[in-house]
Amino acid sequence: MNTAIRAGVTLSVLVCLAGPAGAQALAGMGTEEFGLSPKQLVEAIEKVEGLIAKCMREQGFEYVAVDYQTVRKGMDADKSMPGVSEKEFIRKFGYGLATTYTGEPPQLAMGYSPGRVGLGKKNVEIFKGLAPADRVAYNRALLGENAGATFAVSLEIENFSLTGGCTRKAVAQVFKPEQMLATYYNPKDAQINKDPRMKAALRQYAAEMRKSGFAYDHPDEVEHDIRKRLAALTNGGTILVDQMTPAQLAGLKDLQNYERRVAVKNFQLTEDVIDPVADKIEREMFARRSQ
Amino acid sequence: MEGKRTVALAGALAAAAVIAVGAWVAGSRIESPADAAARTAPPMPSPILVPVEQRVLSSNVITRGTGRFGLPQRISIVPSGLKAGPGLIATLPLRNARLEEGAVMLTASGRPLFVLQGRAPAYRDLTPGISGDDVRQLEEGLRRLGFNPGPVDGIYDQQTSAAVARWYASRKWEPFGPTRDQLAALYALERDWGDADKARLTAAAAAAAAALAVASARATAEHNLRAAAADLAAKKADWRRLTSENGTPLAVESERAKAEYADTAAAADVAAQVADRALIVLDPRQPETARAAADAKLAVARAAAEKIKLEGRLAILAAEREARLAAEQLALAEAAVRSARLEGEKVVQAALDGQKVAELDARLTAARAGRLGADLDAARRKLGIQVPVDELVFIPGLPARVEEVTAVVGAAASGPVLSVTDYQLAVDSALALDAAPLVRTGMPVAIDEQALGIRAKGIVEQVAATPGTRGVDGYHFYLEVRVLESQAKLEGVSLRLTIPVESTKGAVLAVPTSALSLAADGTSRVQVQRSNGALEYVVVKPGLAADGYAEVTPVDGTLAPGQLVVVGYKTPENRDRQ
Repeated sequence: MNTAIRAGVTLSVLVCLAGPAGAQALAGMGTEEFGLSPKQLVEAIEKVEGLIAKCMREQGFEYVAVDYQTVRKGMDADKSMPGVSEKEFIRKFGYGLATTYTGEPPQLAMGYSPGRVGLGKKNVEIFKGLAPADRVAYNRALLGENAGATFAVSLEIENFSLTGGCTRKAVAQVFKPEQMLATYYNPKDAQINKDPRMKAALRQYAAEMRKSGFAYDHPDEVEHDIRKRLAALTNGGTILVDQMTPAQLAGLKDLQNYERRVAVKNFQLTEDVIDPVADKIEREMFARRSQ
Repeated sequence: MEGKRTVALAGALAAAAVIAVGAWVAGSRIESPADAAARTAPPMPSPILVPVEQRVLSSNVITRGTGRFGLPQRISIVPSGLKAGPGLIATLPLRNARLEEGAVMLTASGRPLFVLQGRAPAYRDLTPGISGDDVRQLEEGLRRLGFNPGPVDGIYDQQTSAAVARWYASRKWEPFGPTRDQLAALYALERDWGDADKARLTAAAAAAAAALAVASARATAEHNLRAAAADLAAKKADWRRLTSENGTPLAVESERAKAEYADTAAAADVAAQVADRALIVLDPRQPETARAAADAKLAVARAAAEKIKLEGRLAILAAEREARLAAEQLALAEAAVRSARLEGEKVVQAALDGQKVAELDARLTAARAGRLGADLDAARRKLGIQVPVDELVFIPGLPARVEEVTAVVGAAASGPVLSVTDYQLAVDSALALDAAPLVRTGMPVAIDEQALGIRAKGIVEQVAATPGTRGVDGYHFYLEVRVLESQAKLEGVSLRLTIPVESTKGAVLAVPTSALSLAADGTSRVQVQRSNGALEYVVVKPGLAADGYAEVTPVDGTLAPGQLVVVGYKTPENRDRQ
């Protein structure tokens, strides 16, 4: 009886509390990057691009504010290649970071380059028309120290921590300060990560990764770690492969192999362990929200 | 009993707790219509206030450019005609190396390449005897370096040569003296000149001989003509002597007379014989022999008459022939005179022609000898110390810095080897089509690059008259900014150029452009917070707008620096963002 009463009390309390708490957590939660709704994402992109153009003008550079469609194309181009499935891409190129690194600025990349796509053709042409010194200054003004962290790419990977220059300045005026941090999770993902089932799945994920020799606790940590390692190795993506020392080349080669291996493992575990749980929690979460 | 009370108490407490929790939940979820209305009502807008400022406003054209040291000037080595071929580069300057006047830029096959200041490029070997601007530049450079080249007159003379020698020696280089080829050429020239001089003398002698030959020919022709004339005169005298006054030859007349006389005599003899025979025939007493003798005498007389007639005719013919021969001889003599005259003229003409040829030959050989003599003098004068063209480069501005080295050690020292610039910092930039008309030469320019902490000042040196020049695309005008002062290294750095194209004269009242609003009557106004907190519109006249601020002049009411004006209103969304 005591047990029944305690259970009844607890249940009634939880039932009463679950409604407002869930509603509060899901408030303003969108399905796009950074928890934005599609409309908010379009508005944010337009604001950021306008601010980037203004900032670049103040730096003496010409920059044409990119429209939403172009940024979207740049986002979609991340880890994507025509005629290659996502799985195949990951097997061949990992996250397309160290494996496709050339040292050229994104505007001059000839092959796979989501950064170039997201910058738009007009800006790429403007960049190509600059003198070598101006190109360096242009990308420093636009992207800061990390030439690969274009707005579209950073938006796609939901990580503005590597952005710099006018891009960071513009993003900071549109997004919240916490969204500028590498540790930021959008509300939806944060909510999912708090779920005990997801916690259990992440524990399993971390264990499996460690068995394979990778010390990661969350799938999102992997790409960020590769980016950081590549930036450290290439001085923010400014060293041309042709100009690398033998030690740097060996380091890049190692990082490329590491990227492929860890990406494959991460992809596999994400598919097998994380995604089913996340899908289930997300379905429940949005089902409650619609109620 | 005790246990039942305890259970009842626990149940009551549990029920009370459930009721309390339920009441709390219900309380938290149920709100009155008034609460709901209050919660959903729009918040009271609160104004965002900023102070009116007193500041200088300036409208800027902002662009980018790359710093450089002057305009690169390519340095090329011209092969020297004094050397068999270009040398091999042994030493090269490093990039950014400073080149002073008189310095050695590079060495090739053990010879230096000196640097001197000068606008005209070195294009030929500088040797004694030549003149020109390049020589003047050499003399000016030598003078600046302290090696007196004599008068700076653009003529490479012995003093120049000596100064060059001292200059080379002071830098521990051997001066470039006469080459083996030059000496060989000199010797060949001396030999040619000797031959030509001999030929000149020979030709002069031949010309003199030709003049004598002309005189001789004239004398001979005169003599021959005179002889022929004398012969003709003799023939004419003979002719006159043998002819009558009517022109008939006297010998013919004489023979005709003789023949006539002989014929008459023969006819008389025949007539006498005829008469004698008739007497005999008619005289019957004459014997037959007499008759026969008379007949014979008559026949003889007749034959004699015939003979005389023939002889006379022959004598006339002979005389006539003689007369014709004499006439012919006279004609021949006349022809001989003419022939002698022509022959004499021909011979004289030939002698004159020969004289002309000889004189022409004399002149030609004399001219050649003179030319060779001049060449020899020039060659002798050129035998001093000289400066091969591949050992000297003129640069307009010194000191210069090496911008780029394109040659490599071991390569032939010929053609472009490096480029230099002067030390005047400049920035190459471009202006958009709409900005170019606003920028004029002489405008001040703020130069900076925040990332590198660079700050400098400059002025607009030039704005191209047409777009698409000096390497910029067709949608931009080339802009050159001359750097006036800089503490940082600007060369090769991308720089931001801020050019104030319009500015207020001193500090003016300025408000953020968002503080300006348009009234219904079209006037501009700002909303000012008065000391009592009340908001009041002040009509203003807007002026220059720049940097997000607009110059304002109050038209109606007062406006002072520090007063607060409304630039917007806070909303819940803005609050969240803040």
